This record gives sequence, structure tokens and C-alpha cells, in this order.
Amino acid sequence: MDSTALLLARIQFGMTAFFHFLYPPLTIGLGLLLIITEGIYVFTKDQEYLRVTRFFAKLFAINFVVGVASGIVMEFQFGTNWAQYSSFVGAIFGSPLAIEGLFAFFMESIFVGVMLLGWNRLSAKAHWVSTILVAFGSTLSGVWILVANSWMQTPAGYKIGSNGIPKMTNFWQMVFNPYFPSEFTHVIVGAWEYAAFFMAGVASWFLIKNNKDMVMRKALKVAVIVGVIVACGQILVGDIGAREVVKYQPTKLAMMEALWHSQKYAPETLFALPNNATESNGPQIGIPSMLSMLSYLNPAAKVMGLNAAIRYINKKDSKLDHTKLTLAMFPPVWIVFWSFHIMMYFGFYFALVMLIALYLLLKDKLFDSPKMLKLLWVSTFLPLIAIELGWFTTEIGRQPFTVYGLLTTVDSVSKNVNVLDVGLSVVMFVLIYLTLASFAIYLFKRELRERYEGKDELAGESAKAAN
Amino acid sequence: MNLNILWFILVAVIILGWSVMDGFDYGVGGLLNFIAKNDEEKRYVINAIGPVWDGNQVWLILGGGAVFAAFPLVYASIFSGFYLAMMLVVWLIIFRAVSFEFRSKVETAKWRNFWDTDITVTGLGIALLLGVAIANILMGVPLNKEHIDYQSLFSLLNIFGLVGGLISLFMFLMHGSTYLIMKTEGEVQHRARSYAKGFAVAFIIVTLLFLIISPIFAPRLLGNSFGIIGDIVPVIMLIGAIGVILTAGSTSDIKPFAYSVVAIIGAVASLAVGIFPNIVPSSINTKYSLNIYNSASNHFTLLVMLIATIIGLPLVLIYAIYAYKKFGLKVKMDDSSY
Repeated sequence: MDSTALLLARIQFGMTAFFHFLYPPLTIGLGLLLIITEGIYVFTKDQEYLRVTRFFAKLFAINFVVGVASGIVMEFQFGTNWAQYSSFVGAIFGSPLAIEGLFAFFMESIFVGVMLLGWNRLSAKAHWVSTILVAFGSTLSGVWILVANSWMQTPAGYKIGSNGIPKMTNFWQMVFNPYFPSEFTHVIVGAWEYAAFFMAGVASWFLIKNNKDMVMRKALKVAVIVGVIVACGQILVGDIGAREVVKYQPTKLAMMEALWHSQKYAPETLFALPNNATESNGPQIGIPSMLSMLSYLNPAAKVMGLNAAIRYINKKDSKLDHTKLTLAMFPPVWIVFWSFHIMMYFGFYFALVMLIALYLLLKDKLFDSPKMLKLLWVSTFLPLIAIELGWFTTEIGRQPFTVYGLLTTVDSVSKNVNVLDVGLSVVMFVLIYLTLASFAIYLFKRELRERYEGKDELAGESAKAAN
Repeated sequence: MNLNILWFILVAVIILGWSVMDGFDYGVGGLLNFIAKNDEEKRYVINAIGPVWDGNQVWLILGGGAVFAAFPLVYASIFSGFYLAMMLVVWLIIFRAVSFEFRSKVETAKWRNFWDTDITVTGLGIALLLGVAIANILMGVPLNKEHIDYQSLFSLLNIFGLVGGLISLFMFLMHGSTYLIMKTEGEVQHRARSYAKGFAVAFIIVTLLFLIISPIFAPRLLGNSFGIIGDIVPVIMLIGAIGVILTAGSTSDIKPFAYSVVAIIGAVASLAVGIFPNIVPSSINTKYSLNIYNSASNHFTLLVMLIATIIGLPLVLIYAIYAYKKFGLKVKMDDSSY
């Protein structure tokens, strides 16, 4: 395997994972919102909440199938492109993937058929239960996938066997590895946050055109109430997650904060232009002592810089036979720094937007405020950008490892796959994913337009009634 | 019986579950443009699998995960060795997975024709490639000392592979036809009956051909670990297919499907019996073959996964039975259908 093939395999993995993860967060998040809106309908018999549910279920369905389609390759790609990785950790890493299929994906996929096509076949309560099972199944799916991913960040519950290959020794330690609780919470809350913005944005689009649309008023109300809670909660969750990184992945933290050398009273850098060649940040703006404070709740605490962190890992893992790490093996620090920081800035923006929206809602002014509606509409997909930047941070930040401290990326790739084959598949995936995304966007827009023009019989009635 | 043998059987059961449950989805898809004459009939046919195809597809995901966890070296060797073939299957599955939902969203003839062709081609393609891959594994894969396989996509397209591909193609088309006999009525059902018969005949012919040429291409199949008993397992395939031929024209809606399931059980059992205790035989040196011991995870992982399977699989069956019951035996269209 030469370096071009390795690079292509990494591009392919990054791209397919990036594209796949555009969809599951909405499946997970909208699942929760549909439980709420359909639940309100089931218990109050308010038909408008049924209409909210049925309309957003249509958008859910489009998003869902692209998520399913793009997820399939994720299951097989470890074998095709990362055969050495698969033989090395399959006995551990494969288990959560198989369990995900068995306990989560079946539940989600069987009940999604019942939920989407069974409106006329089930009682209102039984249908609601199907919706709950779809949302529960997709969240559980997230649990097991994040078990697998967090294990790559902080491997636990294993022992290196006599053949040099790690063996699982404790299943629950593997599942509840140090990074899992915070990563899981951060990702799931992020999914809810995105869904709240999605529902709020779509509802706002309709309300900008017709603010008497009672169905969409209700959708917006639910979205804002959920949105405030999750967007504020996410700041706290993110803070807790970052402290786990401090504890377990010193090289990632140093890259996230562009800290080259260990420092007491370390500042939280807000702006920097990190440069790997000079090992410095150029012009930078920061809050003094804030990073020490956030990391150890002590302004004087010493935070490990990237160089020290590399030495630390080399010493800690001296028994393992992966090559000694050098700075040259690490990714450009600016990518990790800016991915993390832009995500973080977005996080504060989301909380602010939702707080303003809640304030206007409580003052009964939200539906009459075209500016706020426009802001919500413009923000519809911003959480998705934050979510992807979060994955950039955690996955690029883990480099040069696939399994932190255990296995490097160079040692993970398939030996027998040549440049031509990977090159061809990369090109095909680009074409296929652009096609799928275009179809999905086209169909999303079409659903919105059809409802607005009243072609959608269910929504049309209520729009007419509202007028 | 040890855990390695048990996991070999479990993987076979998952492959069987996938072939029986998802096999008819591919079959129905592959038949779409031939058995349905207009949009109304096409929607009717699609809705026969509409509420269940997604759940059925999870058998494939489960299969991938189970092989990854139980026999990681098999997962690594086969998927990297069959690189472009695997990618081709993935692309076909991607375009099939979105087709039903996307098709229903727009009513223009051009849009629907596109997705109808997509459903048909992906159904046929996946059904064919499955058998090609399996026949190549049966024949032996050039695994070297490190159990790594260096070969190209085109080396998979040999005569034995193609005959194997025709077996799975006709098997799934037969299965899809019998499924439609069960799920539909009227004209479509009438056509499904004659398709079922035709594909059952074709399935018998290619299966016999495969058995005849096996000693040349894959001599180890005859020297299987079960002796005479192993040699007669393929007869189950033929019994199932003959059952389909005999019952497809009758008034029974369910019997042809049941016989088709028998044929698939025969096919998966023949595969398992023929290859055991290997999983991927090496064509370079039998010492390099991957078997249920040298490719398996450690004892603890196999045990944990076994416990998970014992708890999880019955749950899956409960969900599936509930979903199939809710949609009834015969397709009925309503405003939430595809």
C-alpha cells in the first residue's frame, strides 16, 4: 500500500462518513419531536398537531432513506479499505456493530415501515407507539455506533493477547469506555438541537409567507421550547466532554486549543493562525488563564502542549510496537483548532437564537416578527455544519491514530487495495452522493412548495381554515 | 459442539434469514418492469414489499456485523480482496434503498420510469452478484500466507462464478414471484404464477449445471466433511423448486412461497455443508485457508455475541411478525402507500 492509496482511502472514509452523518442526526432528532407532536395529538385530539406530525413525517422519510442508503457503506468499508484495522480490532470493534443491527437497527427499520405507511392501519395510540419505537431504535443505533467510535478514542475492556492482538476481556468496560457517556450525550443532544432548528426553520418559512398558518405556529412553538432546552444544555454537555479530552487525549486537546508548549495559566485562544512548521500561532487573541480554568477548574493549572503531549504518549505506550510519534505525523493543527472553535461559536449562537425566540414566544410576538422568522429560516441547517465540524475535531484530532494509543492510521489500511481501485471508488462515491443529495434537496423543496400551494390535501385544509 | 462451530451455524442462519426475508425484495424488484404493465400495477407490486423492505435489509447489516465480530479475518480478507465487487454491491444497494420512497414523491412518467428501471436493475444486479461472490469463495480464493487476497474484479467473472450468479438470480426471482402470488390478486398474481414456474425451472437447470461442473472447478465440494449426507443436501434445493412448479398453478397462495423457502434453505445448507470447516478456502495452499478457528475472535467475544444473539433474535422476530400482521396478507393501497 503506497501513500497515495492510503490518502485516497482516508479521503473516501472521511467523505462517506461526512456524507452519511448529514442524515442520521435528523432521523434521531426529528424522531423525538415527532413523539412530542404526535403525543400531543394523541392526548388532546388536536388535529393540528396531527398535521404537524404528518407533514414532518414526510420530510423525515426522505431524510431517513438517504441515511439508510449512505450508511450501508459504513458497515462494509472497514473491511474493504481498512482490512488491517479490521483484523486487529474486529473481535472488539465488530461486536457493537453487530449488536447495533440486532437490537437497534431492526427495531428502527421495521417500525419505520409501520409508522410511514401505517397511518390508516393502526389506532392513534398504536401508531404513536410505532413512532416512539422508531425514535428509540434510531437513538439506540446511535448508542452502539458511538460505543464503537468512543472505544477508538479511549479503548478499554481489553488486553493485548500473546499474538499482539487486543482481546476483549470485559464487555461492559468496552461499552462504557471513558469517552462514551460524554460523546454519546453530546451527539444525541446535537441531533435534537439540529432537529429543533430544522422544524423551527421550516415552520418559519411557512409563517413568513402566511403567519396565520396555525399548524406551523404549533410546530414552531414545539421547536422553540425543545430548542431552548437542548441548545442551552449542549453548552454544558460540550464543556464536560472537553474535560474528558483533557484527561484521555492530550494531543487532541492541544490541537483543539492550538497549544504548542505546556503552560501554566494557559489562555483560552479565541483566534489564532496555527502553523505546524513554525509550531506557533501567529497573531492570536485569547482569554488569560481560561483554558487552565476550563480544563482543571484551576487558573494556575498546567495544560499540556502538543509537544509535551507527544512525548507523554510515546512514554506511556512504550510497550506497544507502533512507531514513535513525531509532530510530522500529526494533521495541520489549524484544521482541528478551527473546526472546534467554529463549532463552539455556533453552539453559543444557537443558544442565543433560541433564547430570543423563546422570549418573543412568551411575549406573544414571535409569529409577528418577520425578522426573527427569517433568522430561524436562515439558521435551519447551521447545526448540521456544527455537527460535522464536531466530527472533524474528534476524528482528525485523534490522528495519527485510528485507535488512540493502540493502532496508527498507517497500520490500519488494507494492504491489497491499489490506487486505481480506491481512486475509482472515491470518484463514484462523489458522484453518487452528489446525486443523492440533489434528489433529497429537490424533494424537500417540493414537499414545502406542495404544501404551500395547497396541493398537499391534509395541510391544505388547515391552511384554508386558517385563512 | 464448541463456540466456533456454533458461530458458523449462526452466520449461516443469518445468511438464510437474509436470503428468505430480503431475497424476495430483490426478486420483486428485479421483476418490476416485467410483471407490472402500468403505473397502477407497479405501485401495487412495490407496495407488496413497501412496508417491509427496510426491515428486511437489516439482515444484511447484521450479517456484516456478525462476520466482523465473530470472524474478523474473514471480514477483512473477503471485503478487501473483492474490493470493486463489494463496492458495486454497495452502490446498487444505495440506489435501491432510496428508490421506493423517491419514486412515490413525484408523479411524472419520466421520474417514475427512471426509478422503475432503477428498482429492476438493482434487484437483478444484487441477486446476480451475490451468487458470483459465493461461487468464487467455494472455488477458493488466492489467499496468501497472511490470508490476504490480491485479485481483480474481472477474475471473479469466471464461468463457475457466473453459473453461481445465475443460481442466486433465478432463486431470488422465483422467490419474489412466489411472494407476489401470496401478496397480490388478479392479473399480477396470475402473471406471478407463470413467472414462478419459469424461474423454478431455470433454477433447477442452473443448479444441476453447477453440480455437474463443480468437480472441475471446486473439487473440495465433493470431499466435504459430511460424506454422503453432505452430498445429498443439494437435493433439498431441487425438492423446493419442484414444489414451486407443482403448486404455482394451483389455487394455493401460500404453498409456492413455502416451497421457495425450502429451496433457499437447501441452497444455504448446501453452501454451509460444502465449505465447513473452512470459511474461505485458499486456492494457493490449503494451509492458508481461513477456517472457523484461525479466523475467529477469542472465546470471550464469541460468548458475549452468542448471548446477545439469543436475546436479540427473538425480539427481531416479534417486531417482524407484528409488522407483517398489521399490513395483512394481501396488498391494500391507501393514501399513505408508496
